Amino acid sequence: MNPRITAIGSGKGGTGKTLIAVTLAHALSHQGERVLLCDADLGLSNASVHLGIKEGGDLAGLIAGKTAMKNAVVNVPCGPRHSFDLLAAPPGAGTFANAGEAAAMTLIAAVEGARNYDRVLIDLGAGVDAAVMSFAARADETLLVLTPDPASLTDAYAFTKLMLRKTGARAPQVLVNMALNGTEGRRIADTLLAASQSFLRAVPDYVGFIPYDARVPDAVRRQSPLLSAYPQTPASLAIDALARKLHSVINMPASAIGLR
Amino acid sequence: MQLRTFLAKDMKEALSNVRADMGPNAVIIASEKSKSGGVMVRAALDEADIEPETAAPEPVETSSVADFESHYRDGLMRRLRNAPSDTPARARFDRTELMAALHRHRTPDSLAHALAEEADKAQLTDMTLALACAIDKRMTPAPIDLTAASALLLVGPNGAGKTAVAAKLAAHARLNDRRITLVAADSAGAGAVARLETFAKHLDAGMAIAETAPELQKLVIDCVSKKTLVVIDTAGFDPRDGKARSAFAALSQIAHVETLGIVSALNDAEEAAEISAALKTLGARRLIVTGLDLARRAGALLAAATQDLPLAHVTRSPFVASGLESPTSLSIARRLLDENRSTQ
Repeated sequence: MNPRITAIGSGKGGTGKTLIAVTLAHALSHQGERVLLCDADLGLSNASVHLGIKEGGDLAGLIAGKTAMKNAVVNVPCGPRHSFDLLAAPPGAGTFANAGEAAAMTLIAAVEGARNYDRVLIDLGAGVDAAVMSFAARADETLLVLTPDPASLTDAYAFTKLMLRKTGARAPQVLVNMALNGTEGRRIADTLLAASQSFLRAVPDYVGFIPYDARVPDAVRRQSPLLSAYPQTPASLAIDALARKLHSVINMPASAIGLR
Repeated sequence: MQLRTFLAKDMKEALSNVRADMGPNAVIIASEKSKSGGVMVRAALDEADIEPETAAPEPVETSSVADFESHYRDGLMRRLRNAPSDTPARARFDRTELMAALHRHRTPDSLAHALAEEADKAQLTDMTLALACAIDKRMTPAPIDLTAASALLLVGPNGAGKTAVAAKLAAHARLNDRRITLVAADSAGAGAVARLETFAKHLDAGMAIAETAPELQKLVIDCVSKKTLVVIDTAGFDPRDGKARSAFAALSQIAHVETLGIVSALNDAEEAAEISAALKTLGARRLIVTGLDLARRAGALLAAATQDLPLAHVTRSPFVASGLESPTSLSIARRLLDENRSTQ
């Protein structure tokens, strides 16, 4: 079976997208999935910085067709029995700063055929350029990260609009990061839902929220994975719950989707 | 998208500020009471993203000047009429037009008059917002939190879609990572158990049959202790009928069980209102209205939802994995006014 592709985007930068992607990869591997985390921030890659590892793999070689997938990835152990693979460009290299849709397509084709994974998580770059939207449109599900910052709302709206234009009908799923509590999370998501419903006639799904948690910046500063550093902190628990939710969709038998 | 935040002493002032600063097409996307006593309203403005329908060019087969002129005039009028079609919800409030729309949707007379009166009082210039305000006074949206629910008992007339709703609830609970047991309290209906069993199998849910109230009670207590969500499908009956009611009463009084009334949007509106009211007196705490994908007139939905029974969800698809939606007064108002416009 081909892997299920989950893209994570936000439009605006600084929404905690990369941290969520890295932590989700960690949590999904604990659910028993074989996960490939692909840092598609082609210009400025930094998943490996979050993980505190030296190398992130050879994304450049893979896109140029010089390196095979299995040699381009780096295995990242998380906990005693689990690990996931990371595919990224070297941090701070800027190799792909102007990589366009063609590079994105090459990468999509490569991960689609990677049958030795159950799931490919794609950490989309900030912005809404053609490469980012190609990934978002192709993914089986696209998580859109929103924060209480009003600027993140307008950028997330632009993301939703472009994605609808590209896919015709499929809206992203909204994930609220850094909310104070469930009520605020729901309220922030509702603003995007209301705007999309009014102007785009499409209603994105709300998948949940990740609470504001002072331990998160602490883990990021220490460059240690959040789930290892603070497995019981509220943000960890929320991302773990999200992983279970994503995992249960994979598990739902295909026959149930079209059932009536 | 333009995004602006307005602080004002009340909603009316905030709305008029929004209109004044951002024009009539602005949409309120959030509002809350601020701590100092006023309100905070966030409004957005964007061009609607709907592609204008490109009408096929009319063949020009006339040659005389008069014909050409009339052709040109007709074409111009047609374009002018069609121009605002991408913003259909922006009609100005007009009580006569509102009454006409409510009647076209077969809204019961008394309800239509009451809503028009309420909408008039709201003093809003936007038709959809005025109707939404009126509906809001009579309807309470109350979506079910499937992560926390413990046991749901589905009741309603035959053919309202109880079994399909049971499957939908189970599918959504499954996506929230819950364990589920589907219970048939209706083993007599032909194929009733078999259908529920099929759903249970595909949704990876447990399946049980409970013939009597004590049996059901035991099952519910057992499942609640294991944090398993119980969804109970019952035999259909007319909730207005005295005999059927007393037979059912024992089921709804089991501890931990929340009774959900199921009504089809395909009913006659007056019938839907009666059934909804009867379900409330029977102990139902929330309502689910089914079949919105089939109903072209929203009168039944409106009548059922305004009987003092909170509206949990509406269903809009025959597929189990989709279409359990949480309606709002605004979405219902849009349904009443937009569709009416497009069918004109």
